[in-house]
Amino acid sequence: MYWPEHRTGIRDPFSELRTLQREINRVFGGYGRGVADFPALNVWGNDERVVVTAEIPGVDPKDIELNVVKNELSIQGERKADALAEDVVCQRNERGIGRFIRTVRLPFDVENDKVSAKYDKGVLTVTLPRSESTKPKKISIESA
Amino acid sequence: MTEKNESVQKKQAADVELTEDRPVFIPAVDIYERKDAILVRCDMPGVDEASLDISLEDRILTLVGCQAKNAPEGHELLIGEYATGIFRRAFTISNEIDHGNIKARIKDGVLNLELPKAEKAQPKKITVQAGA
Repeated sequence: MYWPEHRTGIRDPFSELRTLQREINRVFGGYGRGVADFPALNVWGNDERVVVTAEIPGVDPKDIELNVVKNELSIQGERKADALAEDVVCQRNERGIGRFIRTVRLPFDVENDKVSAKYDKGVLTVTLPRSESTKPKKISIESA
Repeated sequence: MTEKNESVQKKQAADVELTEDRPVFIPAVDIYERKDAILVRCDMPGVDEASLDISLEDRILTLVGCQAKNAPEGHELLIGEYATGIFRRAFTISNEIDHGNIKARIKDGVLNLELPKAEKAQPKKITVQAGA
């Protein structure tokens, strides 16, 4: 995980490079498990907070468990199989079921008790505010 | 989710081009057949009833769902494992469908579609009478 060092209002000449780096990290990162991890996560951030989104269609929000420890967020849960009547014949079965767990490292520590999450249209959005103690502070120098 | 690793990531359709520059994905579906109906269940996260378009024309069932763009304002993308775009999939249905009674419902990003078979396509038992 990287964190952009400087952000200016003008067009960032390094954003293309960062996109490339992100792609490389995505393919080669994650302890060799590669790209097939479920659910796929998008992580957005600025100086104040991190927003993590994941597409997890058809899950009861009660079956999703979120844990935050310092700067790590873990999302786990279960997609359950459909309950079907007995006289039904399955023609095609592509939708995955089973337990899943993903852990993502965030660029900074977050305020554990101010983390909020919502589940809407099958998309989970977790908002994690940055911990006050890790925010950059201006230090004034006293003259002797 | 280990058994179906290949279907965990969204599959992108190669041969569809839109006027708008958004990726087109092939949504994962389950299809079940009942004596009186065909049931289609389709994963479309980020799609609601307003952005979903279902059509049945000449036995071709087309499902199109536009995902809401979920980029939060004023944030930079740090890790991008998935993109949002348009879900599109078409099926040819062999049975006659009762067009008037198709039921579609979307909840938590999963579309449930019930296509009732037309009366004449349903199996009928023919009773044989004993010859007099």
